[in-house]
Amino acid sequence: MKDPDHLTNLHLDAFQEIGNIGAGNAATALAQMLQCKITMQVPKVELIPLGGLAGAIGQEEELVSCITTLVDGGAPASVLFLLGAQSTYLLTDLLLGRKPGSTTELDNMGQSALLEIGNILTGSFLNALGEATGIMFKPSVPYLAFDMLASVISSALLEGGYYDEQVLVMRTQMIGSEILIQGHFLLIPYSGTLPVILKAIGLNL
Amino acid sequence: MVEGKDLSKRVLVVDDAAFMRMMIKDILSKNGFEVVGEAENGAVAVKLYRELNPDIVTMDITMPEMDGIAAVKAIKEIDSRAKVIMCSAMGQQLMVMEAIQAGARDFIVKPFQQERVVQALEKAIAS
Repeated sequence: MKDPDHLTNLHLDAFQEIGNIGAGNAATALAQMLQCKITMQVPKVELIPLGGLAGAIGQEEELVSCITTLVDGGAPASVLFLLGAQSTYLLTDLLLGRKPGSTTELDNMGQSALLEIGNILTGSFLNALGEATGIMFKPSVPYLAFDMLASVISSALLEGGYYDEQVLVMRTQMIGSEILIQGHFLLIPYSGTLPVILKAIGLNL
Repeated sequence: MVEGKDLSKRVLVVDDAAFMRMMIKDILSKNGFEVVGEAENGAVAVKLYRELNPDIVTMDITMPEMDGIAAVKAIKEIDSRAKVIMCSAMGQQLMVMEAIQAGARDFIVKPFQQERVVQALEKAIAS
């Protein structure tokens, strides 16, 4: 099995397209839940050294919420949905029908709402991925962490399986048109998963 | 919406997220259903099904302890005529087929529209 260092531009393009479909589906789901327009950046697909993941996404000490789902099935991976603290509070307000600005810390119902939206977005993302590749993705029950960026990413990685030293990360940002919610969506495949996904779309590594 | 006063509309709502149970409960109570029980995983759902004998069940799939597919199978063993509607973010074709094979009547993909939920429940209850 070759490692991700052998990925060519064609491979990265293919992953970008898969990411585009998946993230598009997730953005649609978010828009439907919040009843507003959500725009999405074209997903970036990059090889990032495992240790430098937090730094590549934002400030390591930034307070964020992270909803992690471990994905089993044909192509095991971890999916992380990251939101800055302000976006987390605003999203909680919107989901629970509270006046924007009322949430300043996460109560039980707020945590449940965030977990569920993470679950729905990851589900929508995986539904599209499953359709595009014919692979069955089985997500675990998601869990929520609210802490510094570097800390939530290391715990999420520790919970998951084995990764290559360089991980292929697919990430995108979703931004609400009338409300400022910025979130990152990360798909981090486990070691051995990349060739499986590539093979499913007719490419070899 | 079917008014049908004779039609029983007692629902058991199964989802591990309290937020989602609250949303489903809200939709159902506004549309003439009575939520008689809530379960946060498949094992509790099976126990409550025995106790409450609801007319219909809404069932999430990805849950701790016992997932929704296993719970549908267990409920169908207790009552082969049980009406269960799956309600999950996992709309992959293989997952939908697995749920239908396990005995589910319908499959609603989250996020859902209120009308879609009501319509699926009305249809299953009337059948």
